[in-house]
Amino acid sequence: MSESQIGLRGRTASPADDADRAVLELVIAGQLDALQELYDRYKSMAYSIALRITADASLAEDVVQDAFLGVWRNAGRYVEGRGSVKTWTLSIVHHRAVDAVRRRRPTTELPEREDVPPPALQAPDIWHDVAAGLDREEIAAAMATLSDVQREAIELAYWGGLTQQEISERTGTPLGTVKSRVRLGLLALRRALVGDEGLAGGLAGDNS
Amino acid sequence: MTEPTMTCDLARDLAGGYVLGALERSEETAVRDHLATCAEPHPEFAALGEVVPSLLALDDMVLVEPPASLGARIMAAAAADLAANPRVAAGASVSGQGPVPLAPAPMSAAAAGSVVVPAPASVAAASSDRAGVSPAIPFPTAEERADRAERAGGASRTRASRFDWALRIAAVIAIVAVGGWGLNLQRQLDGAHRFESAVAAVVQTAAQPGAKTIVLAAASGGSASGIGAVAGDGSVVLAMHQLAATNGSQVYEAWVIVGHDAPLAVGGFTVDGTGTASFTTRPATTPAGATIALTLEPNAGDTAPQGPVVSAGQAIAPPGHTN
Repeated sequence: MSESQIGLRGRTASPADDADRAVLELVIAGQLDALQELYDRYKSMAYSIALRITADASLAEDVVQDAFLGVWRNAGRYVEGRGSVKTWTLSIVHHRAVDAVRRRRPTTELPEREDVPPPALQAPDIWHDVAAGLDREEIAAAMATLSDVQREAIELAYWGGLTQQEISERTGTPLGTVKSRVRLGLLALRRALVGDEGLAGGLAGDNS
Repeated sequence: MTEPTMTCDLARDLAGGYVLGALERSEETAVRDHLATCAEPHPEFAALGEVVPSLLALDDMVLVEPPASLGARIMAAAAADLAANPRVAAGASVSGQGPVPLAPAPMSAAAAGSVVVPAPASVAAASSDRAGVSPAIPFPTAEERADRAERAGGASRTRASRFDWALRIAAVIAIVAVGGWGLNLQRQLDGAHRFESAVAAVVQTAAQPGAKTIVLAAASGGSASGIGAVAGDGSVVLAMHQLAATNGSQVYEAWVIVGHDAPLAVGGFTVDGTGTASFTTRPATTPAGATIALTLEPNAGDTAPQGPVVSAGQAIAPPGHTN
């Protein structure tokens, strides 16, 4: 997938993004104070995300520690041009938090930490970020375009840490329907945020 | 793998769940592997994934400040990680500003287990992997010492920011503080309190203008570590912990090694069951780059080291100070 297909290149990085990238360079070089700087910038968001997902203060602390250590060790994997350092960092926090709540649930298959390959750090390695530069109200307006069931599916997945299979079980909805709701919800969000279908409508080409 | 073969169609079907992190882990791995190897374009992943970060902004989440101790924990764990895995190569590519490893001592790689932090298991695992050096480190040869002196020269040319300097000390203090967590026995608590006072003495010395600091990392197989500061008269104030208790005539002897010179004995001390020591050496010429090493000697008063190095580190000058 080339960048041109995505069509977001017109979106310029903010000065904050540039500053973050400079800090990340120093993190890659092993500068501890750079990590401290990055942590100070995003600790509140990181902790709040972890707390929201885990609903457990001490687990949330472990998640944030784990995530920032991941940033510290793997800063070199950040790919410039794909998304902001902020988004990358927070997506790592999100992923670790989801891992943590799934590990807590006995029913879910999850390999032991040692078996997780390093790429798991960035689960969805998709950091292009249309939200950068949009304000909260624009995003809230975009979210309002989703149907209730789409929004529910996305929130259960993103904030609840549930898999599509688990959402299907919990809501008594067929798995195929859950998948459609997730996909169409994300597409509706995209349409509202950037005004396109991503692929000339090609992605929305199925029903339900 | 018992998973069905991942096809392009199946991957497309899973794209929404993938970008939300809502696939079963086996599915997620299969999709990632497919994307890494598939020749077909899969633009749906980026198209859907781009909007996911907006979910973070959407939520009516109240921002909650983490406890202050969390930052200290993270920095201590990162410092321990750095001590275990120095990033020499990485620094070269970044605009001429070299990395400032916390423990630039030559044996820091072997001393991975030295810093006492309840770091994730992966840190410890990585450390023990790297510690593929014989358990007792022989005393450095003249060649090794020269090599070290050369490297130290290079290091002192690096201009560390003032903040960086303060942070290095703070990181060590954080390690010390965090080290207290695992302690549950009264004796260890006594040791921790004693070590705290010892660290305070070091920090006081380090605060003097021109004072140099030292992070002493454990030799492979050991755990003795600590920090030190070189006072104006060249004496070294040391705060050590996790030393094995001395028996009979045994003493820990401190040595200053400058360039090619033979190690100079600067004083010895004994250690009780707490494993901690607060010790000030005899004055000596201790320039930046000098190595401070502790050996466990069978008898006091030796003029050349007989026993193995248990902990060592290098004196580092403050920023802007040439020596």
